[in-house]
Amino acid sequence: MKGFDEIQQLWQGQAPDPNVSFEAMLMRIKGNRSALARKLFWQSIAVGIGVVILLWMCVAVDFSTWTTYLALVIMIGCICYYFVNQLSDYRAISNSHHLLSKPQDYINYLKVFQQRRNRFNTRSYTVYEICIAIAFALYGVEMYFALPLWTFVGAIVFIIFWFLICHFVFMKQYIHNENARIEEMIDNLERIKGQFYDPN
Amino acid sequence: MSSQRQLFQKLFEDNSKRVYHLCYGYTGDSDSANDLMQETFIKVWQNLDKFRNQSQFSTWIYRIAVNTCLSYLRTAKRRTTDELNENIIENYTEEPSEKQEQIALLYKSIAQLEENERIIITMVLDEVPYPEIADVAGISEGNLRVKIHRIKHKLTEIYNSNERV
Repeated sequence: MKGFDEIQQLWQGQAPDPNVSFEAMLMRIKGNRSALARKLFWQSIAVGIGVVILLWMCVAVDFSTWTTYLALVIMIGCICYYFVNQLSDYRAISNSHHLLSKPQDYINYLKVFQQRRNRFNTRSYTVYEICIAIAFALYGVEMYFALPLWTFVGAIVFIIFWFLICHFVFMKQYIHNENARIEEMIDNLERIKGQFYDPN
Repeated sequence: MSSQRQLFQKLFEDNSKRVYHLCYGYTGDSDSANDLMQETFIKVWQNLDKFRNQSQFSTWIYRIAVNTCLSYLRTAKRRTTDELNENIIENYTEEPSEKQEQIALLYKSIAQLEENERIIITMVLDEVPYPEIADVAGISEGNLRVKIHRIKHKLTEIYNSNERV
């Protein structure tokens, strides 16, 4: 049977200390910074390549209808929109201002951030999906004039089938999992926030 | 750069042990505690400029550590208290001694507290002054004293009941 003072003595005499030296800490700081920078760098490169290819197609390929050019512009817009959102989320989560907030305020921030991510992954993705579908439809006008009828019909059927599979199978599953995960996070955050509530 | 490094080194040496204890008390396993401690100090390094005018460095470091711990639960896979306790016991099985068993039991008991109670009690056990704990937790000192009284009692009860098992 121990009292709190004995428990405190036990705590203060404990052996396990952090097994991380200051030098190892500095190494990790350098590594961490370059890992994030590398990730952002390669994402930027991938987006840049995608945009350059689409712009090159606009300039170098002589499409016969204006709808194809509009389709390419929509595609470029979608890629840029996705990239800007990812970038802004990276910046938001590493924003140091919130780290110094009181725990209740920080939990509130995390909750808002999670809800924003959820909207981006679900509602904004639907808009993104619609835009891509419109771009393909506009490109279909070009294909209609360029391809034999049955090849055109085959391509259209395949694209529609692929969109339906993505929307009704993959996206439904993804949205369901994502909602469940974020709901659980928000429930946890709510519970912890309640523990820090100060009635005074 | 050199003065920044010196300041950071001093902050690390003065606070790393207590931050580690906080993270260990919160997560219940040493690997996660080491990770969270490192994550905390990465954030401290990134915010050194903001600290320059603050008199109480330790409060800000604790605040970052607490927020880092809170967001750890946000992303970690949900683990039951039993799983946590198994981890704690495993961490101490290499060189078991009576004292180590008692410390393992203490961590097991802390893991049975609520999240905010774990944070507050580890600071109390490390003898952090009450105004500083109140500042870190973002609650009034009066409310903190009530909470501490309750948590001390709860931890003592849990520890003694675990010891009897």
